[in-house]
Amino acid sequence: MLRKKLPFLHSLLSPVSRHVGHLTGHQYDVIVVGGGHAGTEAAAAAARVGAETLLITQKIHTIGALSCNPSLGGVGKGQLVKEVDALDGLCGRAGDWAGIHFSILNRRKGPAVWGPRAQLDRQRYRDFIQSELLSTPRLTVVEGSVEELLVTEPNPEEPGHHRVTGIRLANGSHAISARSVVLTTGTFLSGSLFVGQTTSPGGRIGDAPSSAGLSHTLRERLGLRTGRLRTGTPPRIVKDSVDLSLAKLHLPDSHPTPFSFLNTHTHCKPEEQLPCYLTFTTPGVERVVRESLQLNCHIQQDTKGPRYCPSIESRVLRFPGRSHQVWLEPEGVTSDLLYPQGLSMTMPPDIQLRLIREIPPMRRAEIHTPGYGVQYDFVCPTQLSPALQVKSTQGLFLAGQINGTTGYEEAAAQGLWAGANAARSALSMPTVTLSRTESYIGVLIDDLVSRGVTEPYRMFTSRAEFRTSLRPDNADLRLTPKGFEEVGCVSSVRYQESLRVRNSLQDALTALQALFLSTSSWKKKLPSVPISETKSTLLTGLDLLQYNDVTFEMLASAFPESLSSFMEFAQRLKIEAVYKPHCDLNKKEIERIQREENMSLPQDIDYFSLPVSLSDEVREILDRVRPSTLGAATRLEGITPAAVVNLLNYVRVTEKKKETHRNQRQQEAQRDEELCANSASLPQ
Amino acid sequence: DHFMHACNSGSSISERSVFLSPPALADADTIFALSSGHGRCGVAVVRVSGPASATALRCMAGFTQRLPPPRTALLRSITDPRSTEVLDRGLVLWFPAPRSFSGEDSVEFHIHGGPAVVTAVLQALGSVPGLRPAEAGEFTRRAFQAGKLGLTEVEGLGDLIHAETEAQRRQALRQMSGELGRLYQDWSDRLKRCLAHVEAFIDFSEDELIEDGVLNRVDVSVSDLQAEIERHLKDERRGERLRSGVQVVIAGATNAGKSSLLNKLCQRPAAIVSPIAGTTRDVVETALDLGGFPVLLSDTAGLRDSSDLVEREGVRRARERVEQADLTLVVVDSAHLPSEHLRSVLPDTGTMPCVCLLMHRLCLLVLNKADLLPEKQRQKLDTELRGVSGLPAVRLISCQTNEGLKAFLTVLHSSVKTLCGDPLFGAPTLTQARHRAHLQRCAAALAQYQRYRDTDLALAAEGVRLAVTSLGRITGRVGAEEILDIIFKDFCIGK
Repeated sequence: MLRKKLPFLHSLLSPVSRHVGHLTGHQYDVIVVGGGHAGTEAAAAAARVGAETLLITQKIHTIGALSCNPSLGGVGKGQLVKEVDALDGLCGRAGDWAGIHFSILNRRKGPAVWGPRAQLDRQRYRDFIQSELLSTPRLTVVEGSVEELLVTEPNPEEPGHHRVTGIRLANGSHAISARSVVLTTGTFLSGSLFVGQTTSPGGRIGDAPSSAGLSHTLRERLGLRTGRLRTGTPPRIVKDSVDLSLAKLHLPDSHPTPFSFLNTHTHCKPEEQLPCYLTFTTPGVERVVRESLQLNCHIQQDTKGPRYCPSIESRVLRFPGRSHQVWLEPEGVTSDLLYPQGLSMTMPPDIQLRLIREIPPMRRAEIHTPGYGVQYDFVCPTQLSPALQVKSTQGLFLAGQINGTTGYEEAAAQGLWAGANAARSALSMPTVTLSRTESYIGVLIDDLVSRGVTEPYRMFTSRAEFRTSLRPDNADLRLTPKGFEEVGCVSSVRYQESLRVRNSLQDALTALQALFLSTSSWKKKLPSVPISETKSTLLTGLDLLQYNDVTFEMLASAFPESLSSFMEFAQRLKIEAVYKPHCDLNKKEIERIQREENMSLPQDIDYFSLPVSLSDEVREILDRVRPSTLGAATRLEGITPAAVVNLLNYVRVTEKKKETHRNQRQQEAQRDEELCANSASLPQ
Repeated sequence: DHFMHACNSGSSISERSVFLSPPALADADTIFALSSGHGRCGVAVVRVSGPASATALRCMAGFTQRLPPPRTALLRSITDPRSTEVLDRGLVLWFPAPRSFSGEDSVEFHIHGGPAVVTAVLQALGSVPGLRPAEAGEFTRRAFQAGKLGLTEVEGLGDLIHAETEAQRRQALRQMSGELGRLYQDWSDRLKRCLAHVEAFIDFSEDELIEDGVLNRVDVSVSDLQAEIERHLKDERRGERLRSGVQVVIAGATNAGKSSLLNKLCQRPAAIVSPIAGTTRDVVETALDLGGFPVLLSDTAGLRDSSDLVEREGVRRARERVEQADLTLVVVDSAHLPSEHLRSVLPDTGTMPCVCLLMHRLCLLVLNKADLLPEKQRQKLDTELRGVSGLPAVRLISCQTNEGLKAFLTVLHSSVKTLCGDPLFGAPTLTQARHRAHLQRCAAALAQYQRYRDTDLALAAEGVRLAVTSLGRITGRVGAEEILDIIFKDFCIGK
């Protein structure tokens, strides 16, 4: 049920890609730099919140490009897509439009860890994102390269603190001013490309390198700590040159499940989906990697090494003598290429060809574009607030790979949150945060800002301590109301729908609990279900639904009068019933954490002179990390229970003081008003 | 997908516990603890606080019909709710909320002070549903939450919790260094591996080559662990005798006269004494009765850098023992005071060599060999010591001539007495009750894994997570990163 057909793109492109000269002197609320997964979500979210927004990208036609793998979602990542969608973001609906092979991973492992995933048609994905952005009210898109970030001189009262005022474009002196700027530069921040022994500046093959000016401003002017990370992509293979009969056929789900809560079906018809293929590496692959090591700059420089080993080089070096999986994935309905998932490599192109030909289905394969590696700068994310704003620079927000993450979904999630907050900040509304108790986005951001990264950060479900509550099926219940009521990034249509769903689910659960029968009566009603008759206890419909063999459909056909109207939610109700006892257990812990997270620690505390009893070690940790809430402080390694209580006490006392102060001021103001009123009523 | 290599990250925050939550500021659990001292006390007070307090009162003091009148002491038989065996006869008091110390429903049991009775009552309370042993400072923290503490009490709260945490940490360290500790550590390692493998199966098996056998091995491990823990919980002897008494450790540089002091204190030559530096190489342990209080006195190797392997091990053990001590006697050769040598052997941040030690733990400074000190130097030392603030009690003695020994014993006795009056210091029964509660939770959580293994792996994994958390409360926090480390070590994750 996609709400509209995609409009014809060319008709939209001309009015928005205006000459940048027209923008000079224009004041925007929000400028977003970069048109990848983070940038597009950021720009769309900022505009939804109500900000006049400008998106600057090097090439309009690469907006929404899938630079690497042609797929979206998966285990952990699929949860992020559902949450971005629940907050009215783009990627879920784009996935439903562009998907050509849908499957729910982990189908047999429990609904909390289901991983909605789709192979995508690159062209369709780009078309959808571009058409959405170019028709979004309050959003302007221009082509350009940002040369410099404009910031004020440091505030003399707060040394090292700046405020962002706008950006300056390259090739000229155009300055465009804005109250907030969101940087989503991906791998372009001082990016360099690696193939074999050659290195060239750039963030993606075929695109111009970004200017060094931005990197300079961040490091030298704002004094931000940066680090360097690596990424890479596999060669693209000519489809016709691959003998797919030698690979294992992998079919999609016969009934594609859409990502978006707004869609009941996907754009692609079930029978039109394309398959994937699975094959394996051979000892020959390992031999080629070992023989070509001296020709491989990217891998040689891998001194530190992450704990996981996504390039084929590090896979065979770290786990030798094994056969590794390689997925051959379609790139689109009309594409002639295959994407070999698991074969990222940076050796010289001729050796890449030798390597892939060691894999049986690719004995005679041809490479269309060789794989390559990228190294780029990231900003250590502990310098950000939970709103993804740079702590020392009012109005500057960062999202995506610039924060040390990897993956489309991680980028999209940050982009949405940074964009919404950039808009709120520009419109003089307080920034908002998401707790790790309510969403994977909250887990992602909290991990980044309070722990930092030592390797590219990727979402796993094991990172979420409340995994059984943060399920893909209930992302709308968790986030859509908050997105509308507190953030302002959700349309009222979606909000109304989420309320309808919430109320229906509540009514259904109440109806189930109202079915209160003895075991023998249940046995009569549902003869096929093995209910033990030994105890003649009373069971509710909700209890019954927790049985493995009982579906909502069975209960609804036994009690059509009270349950049949909820058939639309059959699967969700089954999941709710099974998880309810566990979520109830989680609830207490979640409430405790949220209470602590609601106690904010002022960002300007001087921890070294704070008049409470804290050890020097604790003061140093607090000063370095500057946790924004008591909850974040509690989770820091090295913070003792005693320190937490002392901080809590401090927060209470200062809040009380502030309150008294506020009351006094109010009273004074009231007195003043009364005085004015009195004087006004004085006879002239 | 992308492949990524970290080159240089500025972040230095290491580990964060995700599976183990930090101590609660307030929650709805019901907690219990021994609130009086151990050792020689005629009456022990056990406090219960939280919503299930009334349940505890009902099933342990026989109030089946209705609860006793509030704030009135009644003499009752106190029974074990599982066996209905009478554990003791004592006074019980019922304090309904909010008029109680913690502001919550509370109960006090005043029972006989013997360790057997106290242990039995604590274990009985642990078996009441909804009750668990209190964490460090939890009673006080709840009182604080309820606004029951005065301003000065609130100010001292941080210090109190610090002291309690430290006392628990020392007690746990003592247990963890023994056979029991090795057992728990082994369980913890195996459990972490189980969790890592279940998590790997959940997060990666659809894309990566993770054989189905992984989960079968987890099944076997989980049932083994469950059986072992349950067997351990049933075993009334529970492995080893817990060392009880105030742990007093003698430490200092070589040849300061530490062993002479030990021999003086236990009035027999328990340790070999010689003028050769480094005579004591291992920990020499003696149990004493000090004016009626149980003391476990340990003599340790002199702290110095040594190339001798055996002596180095002795020094390591000495430092470990100081870590675990309730009270440290720092012995210094007064002729060497203050000397560069001393500063190098004891971590030093101020004018006096042991300042660092004093900041965190209780200690007495013993200046030995007073007989070798000329009168002039003695006066100089006196004025010098008076000039330093924040020093612990200092006593000038001579193990040779017995000069100052009597005065020193008085100070030592009063320190030990203070420690015994504190319910937390060196109370192995309490640690034991806490361990039992965590182990019970651990075993129950493993049963959850079994229950959901075939129907919902997310809920099954939740069981293993809870088990890791519960055991982690004994063996130390387990963070998500630690689990990911095992995953990436054991499996090739390429996506």
